[in-house]
Amino acid sequence: MYASTNAVEIRNLQKFYGQYHALRNINLSVKKGEKVVVCGPSGSGKSTMIRCINRLEEHNDGSINVLGTELSDDISNIDEIRREVGMVFQHFNLFPHMTVLENCTLAPMLVRKMPLAEAEALAMKFLEKVRIPHQADKFPGQLSGGQQQRVAIARALCMQPEVLLFDEPTSALDPEMIAEVLDVMTSLASEGMTMICVTHEMGFARKVADRVIFMDAGEVVEEGDPESFFTNPQNERTAAFLSQILSD
Amino acid sequence: MTTLISAQYKPTVWMKVQKNYFKNWRSALLSMMCFAVLGGIVWSIVDWGILNATFSSTARHTECYANGGACWSIIANRWRVILFGLYPYDEQWRSITACFIVVATIAFSCFPVFWTVRRLSLIWLVGAASFFVIMKGGVFGLSLVSEEQWGGLALTLFIFVGTVLIGMPLAIMLALLRNSKLPVISKVTGVIIDTVRSLPLISILFTFALVLPFMLPDMLVGEKLYRVIAASALFFAAYQAEIIRGGMQGVPKGQEEAAQALGLGYYQRITRIILPQAFKNALPAMINQFVTTFMETSLVTIVGFFELLASANAAYGTGEWNFAFVEVYFFVAAIYFAFVFALSRYGAFLERRMAN
Repeated sequence: MYASTNAVEIRNLQKFYGQYHALRNINLSVKKGEKVVVCGPSGSGKSTMIRCINRLEEHNDGSINVLGTELSDDISNIDEIRREVGMVFQHFNLFPHMTVLENCTLAPMLVRKMPLAEAEALAMKFLEKVRIPHQADKFPGQLSGGQQQRVAIARALCMQPEVLLFDEPTSALDPEMIAEVLDVMTSLASEGMTMICVTHEMGFARKVADRVIFMDAGEVVEEGDPESFFTNPQNERTAAFLSQILSD
Repeated sequence: MTTLISAQYKPTVWMKVQKNYFKNWRSALLSMMCFAVLGGIVWSIVDWGILNATFSSTARHTECYANGGACWSIIANRWRVILFGLYPYDEQWRSITACFIVVATIAFSCFPVFWTVRRLSLIWLVGAASFFVIMKGGVFGLSLVSEEQWGGLALTLFIFVGTVLIGMPLAIMLALLRNSKLPVISKVTGVIIDTVRSLPLISILFTFALVLPFMLPDMLVGEKLYRVIAASALFFAAYQAEIIRGGMQGVPKGQEEAAQALGLGYYQRITRIILPQAFKNALPAMINQFVTTFMETSLVTIVGFFELLASANAAYGTGEWNFAFVEVYFFVAAIYFAFVFALSRYGAFLERRMAN
């Protein structure tokens, strides 16, 4: 059963797109405060897997337990999990018709029923944390990609989630903006946030991750601590992937 | 020297005209021809409408014939028929007051300050109630004027506003149902929308006005005017629903996912994230539909209502004035233009406001 130290518990997860077997028998436990980096070639199912955790994708078989709540068709269970699990997307997905501040206050006010003043104070606190408080009254379209992604992180933090999911947060960014986003993520990690990151930033994985997971063709091929994962990969697919991605 | 050069490079109005209209002999020729035709049209309108026109309200048709130009005397004599239709003569101040109430209510709800559900409902509740009391009467010492006697501008506005007030929420509902994940619901809604869109408005108006009473129990039939408004609203909603759905398809999938990931429920996602962006995408087409609907209100004359255009026909339809129909149509066109122009300006304001 659910152990109180586990934030996310995935068992025998199966996912199909029609005939295509996207996720094959995934098992994964993430402890509270643990930072897990998921990597693998494109199409390996890593995004699909973390999108299953907050039900952006429906799984076909197996079980997902988040913070003691079993993910099922029950809409109240889904809502409960989404309140506690934040997500940062590859393309930021900020709401373009709202200011940065409104992006951040929306969910706390609507979902947590927080009064406006309190929500704004909270939003400013997290905008300061991602070092962007002076842009609060701008619209997302007026910001650079790196700034938008930092706002998106602040927006997710404003719900004060227990777990943060990152779905390739730096893949859509220009190279000079990647560092500013990774810095924010690193400082979050050091404060004890539970994080599951799909990313190709191996430097970040090495520095921050407690565990690295390698996926290929819809299954978890290898997992281990960053040190042994990078220096001594056990599976040949992992070794091939690492030699490709680290060659340049 | 430098000042001379920079002065030369600053294009004067004349230089722009030269560049745009007289670049070479062919464009010069074409420009001159267009200017000549335009000038001719403008001159003949001015000549007919102002220089040779008869303005006196006491003038009769013989005087108009003598002057040869437009006979604006008909407007001075018959404007009450045009604006009020069959509405009783002594009560027509009520009809014009009702028009002002509608225009004021629309104007108020155009201000972003009032864009909350509670404020808008309050404004429209007050607006509709006072319109109704003034127009229909039967209370507060006002004599009863039944819907059959309503006419002219007040009737046109009433039908338009009624159509939009019923049609707009219906359109949003149809668009959402059409986008439903449940195939049965989206298919059935699709068939309803396509059926309404494949029928001419006139046939729908006829059906609701004349056929429906035979099919419904008496208590559900209601006044003919309201059946006509219901028909018009249904027609409006079918078109507007497809326009809104198109706008919704322009909203990236990531927007809904981000809202879901934040824990927003369906109603919150729709009202806060999807619809505001869909409206922005669809705004030009939506305004267009409003304009079309405003002018299509003139079709209700076919089932026996004297709205603005039908009242105008009646205004020149007496033996004495029936030569002066062009003047009447000019007058009516000016009224339609005032409303449609205001509507399109408001659309442009909204587009600017939403552009960020």
